[in-house]
Amino acid sequence: MADTAQPGPIGGHGHDGETRRDFLAIAATAIAGVGTACATWPLISSMNPAQDTLAAGAPIDIDISGVQPGQQIIVLWRSRPIFVVRRTPDQVKALAADKDAASLRDPTSAANQQAAYAKNVYRSVKPDVLVLVGICTHLGCIPEFVPQPGGSLGASWQGGYFCPCHGSRYDLSGRVFQNVPAPYNLPVPPYHFVSDTVIRVGENPPDSTFDFNSIEQI
Amino acid sequence: MAALQSQSKIVRWIDHRLPIFTFMQHELHEYPTPKNLTYWWNYGSLAALMLMIMIATGIFLAMEYTPNVNLAFDSVERIMRDVNYGWLIRYIHMNGASFFFIVTYIHIFRGLYYGSYKEPRELLWILGVVILLCMMATAFMGYVLPWGQMSFWGATVITNLFSAIPLVGNEVVTWLWGGFSVDNPTLNRFYALHYLLPFVILGVVGLHIMALHTHGSNNPLGIDRKGPQDSIPFHPYYTIKDMFGVGVFLTIFAIFVFWFPNLLGDPANYIRANPLQTPPEIVPEWYFLPFYAMLRSVPDILFIKAKLAGVLAMFGSIFMLFILPWLDTSPVRSARFRPIYKWVFWLLVIDVLVLGYVGAHRPEGLYVVMGRIATLYYFFHFLILFPLLGIFERPLPLPTSISAAVTKGKP
Amino acid sequence: MRAFAIALFSVVALAVPAFAQEEAMPPLDHEKWSFDGPFGTFDRGALQRGFEVYSEVCSNCHSLKLMSYRDLGGPGGLGYSDDEVKAIAAQKEVTDGPNDQGEMFQRPARPSDHFVPPFPNDQANRAAHNGALPPDLSLIVKAREGGSDYIYGILTGYKPPPPGLKMPDTMQYNMHFPGHQIAMPPPLSDDVVSFADGTKATTAQEAHDVVTFLTWASEPRMEERKKTGVKVVFFLLVMTGVLYAAKRKIWADVH
Repeated sequence: MADTAQPGPIGGHGHDGETRRDFLAIAATAIAGVGTACATWPLISSMNPAQDTLAAGAPIDIDISGVQPGQQIIVLWRSRPIFVVRRTPDQVKALAADKDAASLRDPTSAANQQAAYAKNVYRSVKPDVLVLVGICTHLGCIPEFVPQPGGSLGASWQGGYFCPCHGSRYDLSGRVFQNVPAPYNLPVPPYHFVSDTVIRVGENPPDSTFDFNSIEQI
Repeated sequence: MAALQSQSKIVRWIDHRLPIFTFMQHELHEYPTPKNLTYWWNYGSLAALMLMIMIATGIFLAMEYTPNVNLAFDSVERIMRDVNYGWLIRYIHMNGASFFFIVTYIHIFRGLYYGSYKEPRELLWILGVVILLCMMATAFMGYVLPWGQMSFWGATVITNLFSAIPLVGNEVVTWLWGGFSVDNPTLNRFYALHYLLPFVILGVVGLHIMALHTHGSNNPLGIDRKGPQDSIPFHPYYTIKDMFGVGVFLTIFAIFVFWFPNLLGDPANYIRANPLQTPPEIVPEWYFLPFYAMLRSVPDILFIKAKLAGVLAMFGSIFMLFILPWLDTSPVRSARFRPIYKWVFWLLVIDVLVLGYVGAHRPEGLYVVMGRIATLYYFFHFLILFPLLGIFERPLPLPTSISAAVTKGKP
Repeated sequence: MRAFAIALFSVVALAVPAFAQEEAMPPLDHEKWSFDGPFGTFDRGALQRGFEVYSEVCSNCHSLKLMSYRDLGGPGGLGYSDDEVKAIAAQKEVTDGPNDQGEMFQRPARPSDHFVPPFPNDQANRAAHNGALPPDLSLIVKAREGGSDYIYGILTGYKPPPPGLKMPDTMQYNMHFPGHQIAMPPPLSDDVVSFADGTKATTAQEAHDVVTFLTWASEPRMEERKKTGVKVVFFLLVMTGVLYAAKRKIWADVH
């Protein structure tokens, strides 16, 4: 410090000029700070999905005429796997009985993971056709479809989904069991039946305004 | 250096283990600076700002860009059309290159005028030349990335320079390309290096500032600081002055980015690269024009073919700057006290502008003559005029101290 | 140093216009464009009419590959509603697939699809045009020296060749085209389209509108750019003012 003539910090002395100098220095620093902060916004914003990415999430049509009862097909929509299952009459009956309800986290689908039209015990528009986003709500793995009851998953297993990553279990409606890491039921995408054999994923039925971006968790 | 006096216990705790606050206090706050620096001394901080802006925008552009000959052009246009604020980030980056060179060139010419390269600042100057070279390489490779017509043909022409190297020229060029012409491997390596080099520049800038802070800034009088009366602390005096300069500079920069974003560019680069069709005129970006002119101006010299001679002249014009501190024999730094150099300096500025003008035109007729004279003068200036001036020029008497000169002529 | 620098700068500024004039070309008339100037925006009427000209005339030979149908709607678009955009897109067929049988199939275009090109590839386009390739128009305004005025000049610059000039049958004389011989026959004439909004379709009107459309296509974000620019420069001016005041105040005791 001995090398310089004006060592005083800004506004070190008490007279009027110093107060004004203080004010200007603070104003200058503040406005420059605000400017810098604003300048980072475009950079951060650029990492959000671009216009073409958003537009590419257009609805897709899936022909389910070839899906046999008890079978699952997987299609991609917005780079995400969509499970489409045709349930057997036995499976529909088992779900209607809802014996597992007590051991499920959210048996009534209270959490916003589906549109109103899928807020039932089947979590689907038609009881025999299940449509789910096949991404475990724990950490994003794809759960395995294990439709046969019992087996290595225990005597009480009635068929459903088992996530190989961390052992989360879901029933045949994609409802999550208690005491597994996954917090929510598997999401149901917006979809409707264009005809008896074709479903359109990504588009609500005409009477619904469900916004898929509003769900609790993918 | 006094130990840091801070109210904050946390600051003291950290500083005791990692003296970063002491360092900042010393180098940014109380760092003694000549009190008579003019606005010509703002360009160093502006160059640093531009480096930051280029790195920041570049990182975000890299997230959207695809270095593949089939996808690069479209990915850049996707940035311009679909990515949120992509147009803004890309235009800042694109015009930022030009403005980075503007401030750097002014910074260099300021150094030339005030003899900022002289003892004891030779290494400071040499590090600056290294930064300039890295900037040129970075800018050149960056210009190739959008894969427009000028990108492709600029890359073709400039990489072909290396074939002038005797004996191994062709091998070197093939090696640079990673193929038999500028193609996908070339684009990929240019992208990798374009991302890398700015961080090299950042490192050398660190050294540049270290060297600067060792002996402090030169000043318009070119004389050393004699004592406290000649200095003021860097903060707040030069922080606020630099910030004001930043405000003016950014306003001009913004006018270009928002209203004339393509003024400094070439329309041909909005045409997808076509290896089967050369554009009518291949012109580099404006900041390379003087060097491009030298490249084209040199004729066959004895047994050296014009191609090699041009390449030597172009690279020589920059590499010569490395030995500049020893070419200048004058003991006086500032041109203010060098009655002849004061004018000769402006001859160099004009010469470089003429070279730039020539570089923008087809080498025909008068432009060839102008280019040759200007190239010749450029080398004459540094290699002959500089050493001779120091011997024959009679400098004016220097002021005894900075404060004496500053107070003189003031009421 | 300062005085000399200013003098030199003025000389350079005066000398720069000398760069501009090179070839013996008639100067381009400067049209009055809605998008000129620091606050200029695209005239939506001209854009929609220009799009009509593009669709009915230009698009028979020229692609517009970088544009998508969705660009026509939304803010910064041509002012069409989402449904109108869907209808415009659906008029075109795109190839999609493969389907479950492994076959490609045709389907109506969606807003997210890129503009369907008139020819499947450049070779086919060349073959249909005596070897000349009608360029893609997505960036045509930015890719030509002279920009909008140049494109307008080309569209309105067809003249009978000067006497004595031998022209190949496949070429046309155009006063604004470099070399004056252009492979494109005059694309526009009075009433080549009939505008939906009832504007009289003169050649000049068609050219003006389609150039407005192509300028927009070259840079759909131009309006957003200028609008953002006004805010940014206003902020920077205020900031610079405050910084200058602070600088004066802080330096007062040094001077």
